[in-house]
Amino acid sequence: MSQTNVKSDLDASLVNPLIKATMTVMEKMTNTQVQMKQIFAQEEYLPSGDLSGVIGILGEQGEGTVALSFPLPLANIVVARFLGTKPEHLSSEDRCDGIGELVNMVSGQAKAALSNESGCLYKLTLPTVIQGAGHQVTSQAKGAPFLVLEFESEGHIFHLQLSFKRY
Amino acid sequence: MRILVVDDSAIMRKVIIRELSNLNFDDDDIVEAADGNEALQIAKEKTFSLILMDWNMPNLSGIEALFEIRSAGITTPIMMVTTEAERGQIITAIQAGANNYMVKPFTPEDLKEKLLQILGTLPPPKKEQRVDMSEGKIIQE
Repeated sequence: MSQTNVKSDLDASLVNPLIKATMTVMEKMTNTQVQMKQIFAQEEYLPSGDLSGVIGILGEQGEGTVALSFPLPLANIVVARFLGTKPEHLSSEDRCDGIGELVNMVSGQAKAALSNESGCLYKLTLPTVIQGAGHQVTSQAKGAPFLVLEFESEGHIFHLQLSFKRY
Repeated sequence: MRILVVDDSAIMRKVIIRELSNLNFDDDDIVEAADGNEALQIAKEKTFSLILMDWNMPNLSGIEALFEIRSAGITTPIMMVTTEAERGQIITAIQAGANNYMVKPFTPEDLKEKLLQILGTLPPPKKEQRVDMSEGKIIQE
C-alpha cells in the first residue's frame, strides 16, 4: 500500500470501517467479491471512473464528503447484480439510482464509525450521482485532503474517496 | 399479507419487492411509496400487515413518517430498513413506535428472518399452474 505525504485529518480508526463497509455492501447487495489494492491521501479529489455516487456527512464535530466511483463496465455489472437483471437491461436511471444507493450504504457505515468514535451524531445528505469521464467532486470540507481507497473487482479498479474536516 | 414498501430509491424498492416475491408474497399485495408523505397518505387509506420504512428520504423522512403514522393511531407493524446504523438511532426509532429494525446492507436471509420475527409466518409457496391443453383446464399443482 502506498501513501503520500499529504496529512489527512482522518485517523486510522476510520480506514478499517470504510474498507469493511465497502466490501460488505458489495458482497451482500451485489454478490461481488472485492480486493483492497492500496490506500493513499492526496490534496484534491482523484478523478476516477465514469460515474460517482456522492454523499455529504455533517455533524457537530466535523463535515465531509464520500464519493464512490466506478468505471462504466463495473457500474453496469454491480447494479445489474443488485437489481437481479442483466447489464444490457439497465436504464441510465437504474444505474444512477443503484450507485446512489451503494454510496448511501457505505456512507452509513462510515457515519456510524464516526459517531461511535466521537459520541456525536452525524447526518448524511441524500446521495447524488455525477457522470462523465474525468468528472470532479468538491468536498464539503473545503481544503481537507481526500483519503483514497482503491479496490479491484471483476477486473476493474474502483475508488472510495473520503474527505473530512474536524472542527 | 399486504406490505407497504417505502424508499426514495426506486432500485431499492425493486430489490425489496423482488425478495418479497421470492418469499411468496403476492406482487398485487405489495404497495410502493417514494417518501414519508406518500407513505403516510397510503397508510391512512389502506390496511397493511407490515410497513418497511427507509429513514433518509426527501419531503418527509422515515422517522417523521413513523411519528405521524403512530400519532394517527395506526398500529400496523413498521420495520425500519435503513443505513442508519448507530445504536442511538435504533433506540429513537423503537421509541417512536418501530417494531423492528434492519440495517442496510442486508441479505435475503436477513430479510426473511426479520419478516418471520414480525409476521410470525410467511405466505405458503405459490401453487404452480399449468394448462391441460387437451381439455383447456387450468391445473394447480
